[in-house]
Amino acid sequence: MKAAVNQKLTEMGERDRLKELLRAKLTECGWKDQMKAHCKEVIKQKGLEHVTVEDLVVEITPKGRALVPDSVKKELLHRIRAFLAQHTK
Amino acid sequence: LLTVKPDAVTTMSPAGCPHVNGFKVDNWKQNLRVIYQCFVWSGSAETRKRKAKSCICHMCGAHLNRLHSCLYCVYFACFAKKHIHEHAKSKRHNLAIDLLYGGIYCFMCQDYIYDKEMEQIAKEEQRKAWKMQGIGEKYSTWEPTKRELELLRHNPKRRRITSNCTIGLRGLINLGNTCFMNCIVQALTHTPLLRDFFLSDRHKCEMQSNSCLVCEMSQLFQEFYSGHRSPHIPFRLLHLVWTHARHLAGYEQQDAHEFLIAALDVLHRHCKDDNGKKANNPNHCNCIIDQIFTGGLQSDVTCQVCHGVSTTIDPFWDISLDLPGSSTPFWPLSPGGDGSALNGESHTTGATTLTDCLRRFTRPEHLGSSAKIKCSGCHSYQESTKQLTMKKLPIVACFHLKRFEHSAKLRRKITTYVSFPLELDMTPFMASRYSLFAVVNHQGTLESGHYTTFIRQHKDQWFKCDDAIITKASIKDVLDSEGYLLFYHKQFLEYE
Repeated sequence: MKAAVNQKLTEMGERDRLKELLRAKLTECGWKDQMKAHCKEVIKQKGLEHVTVEDLVVEITPKGRALVPDSVKKELLHRIRAFLAQHTK
Repeated sequence: LLTVKPDAVTTMSPAGCPHVNGFKVDNWKQNLRVIYQCFVWSGSAETRKRKAKSCICHMCGAHLNRLHSCLYCVYFACFAKKHIHEHAKSKRHNLAIDLLYGGIYCFMCQDYIYDKEMEQIAKEEQRKAWKMQGIGEKYSTWEPTKRELELLRHNPKRRRITSNCTIGLRGLINLGNTCFMNCIVQALTHTPLLRDFFLSDRHKCEMQSNSCLVCEMSQLFQEFYSGHRSPHIPFRLLHLVWTHARHLAGYEQQDAHEFLIAALDVLHRHCKDDNGKKANNPNHCNCIIDQIFTGGLQSDVTCQVCHGVSTTIDPFWDISLDLPGSSTPFWPLSPGGDGSALNGESHTTGATTLTDCLRRFTRPEHLGSSAKIKCSGCHSYQESTKQLTMKKLPIVACFHLKRFEHSAKLRRKITTYVSFPLELDMTPFMASRYSLFAVVNHQGTLESGHYTTFIRQHKDQWFKCDDAIITKASIKDVLDSEGYLLFYHKQFLEYE
């Protein structure tokens, strides 16, 4: 089911629009700034010369997922539902 | 020339890593572009359809898990489960591209690499695709151009902005009852976006004469941020105002609010030639004044008989609010009622709050039997209700508390205290948070009075500007003041 939904969203360009909406919402609520600060801490710890993108991904993913506000999740879910309702027979 | 100390950045070499050389052969640029267009940022419906169908992991079929595409052959695999790593190893194809963000991964370096030529291609393709889809421009941090680096090298003098430096603060000499102009100049020179616009020299003048008010504003900003501490004499500004807004000429005291609107109007008119394209619709100008100050006020008139709604949207630069004690009926909303406590406004004395005034402004109003409106649904004159709401809130919201009453029989100043907050949540009226950055006050009576301005410099330092005299002020001073014009700035900005 997930794959079929993803296909529909991608095809109609809705996936890209949702990505943009999410980016805007996460910036507005301060999530982006929190993550940026956390990244800086990780880089300080590991040292600028040794840290890789993978290190950062591993370190910040759990925190990032946990800190997404419920309101943002709700809104996106609502958008996706509305879109699917409009575009499935 | 002044600058702010930048964060430490690593210098990256133009070539990301030595392993890309194997890829940069023949028609590699075009091939890379095709990959971006088809599988990363799909702009057209055709490419999107292809992407939806084909972008799944060739090993496990997943469409998530940080899907990557091999740069040497047509192979998609997920990163999280290391399927793309297996492909890289077995085929000795050492480069892959992240389909979500377009980053290039080198399996030899075991990290994402930043190749200047490849990044350039990525940027261009993203911009193209987003334009096709109607998504705006992506915000990217400022990087100096070669010319700018040259300028910085030739002008080595630097001014450090510390928390106790007074840059941006300057007094203004009173040229004879001109405090009504001085107080507005203080508010405008401390409007963050306007300041940024002028200090980055964004105004390109196309006026033939030298009576351009925008040029004068630009000059004014240079004076304010020059570091000079002596008061500035704004005689040229005053002369230009007299030239372009005749109704404000003369040596008697004028209304600061009238001056604000006149100044914005003249600036807007002189700015209209500033855009890349000439504004063909006078109401849809894209000048800096419109971008910052213009909002949209929606007026809905509902017929009481057929309930048909007639809607109009008018642009506005400020919101004029009636006060209790004026001759217009003011509904006193109970202090501490839900909504008023929202903005942390004080209710210790049962004072009216700014939110109360805004709620009153947007409440439905019955127009009465003597003011019937012709209803297009009923084809006759009917009683109706009218309601105002903020359709579009500007970046800077200016609230004008109507303290000067000029009705037929009386002329007086309403001194009722209205409590206003440091941070304003416009959620009940629109979804946005605003911060206070300037307050204009009037002391005295209608006939003779004096204007002063509180302005916010840096994040939380407040100063009182009384013509040429600038003194430190506390937040309490600001919030306890009577308030005539209140300037709020949107906290989060989205780039359109």
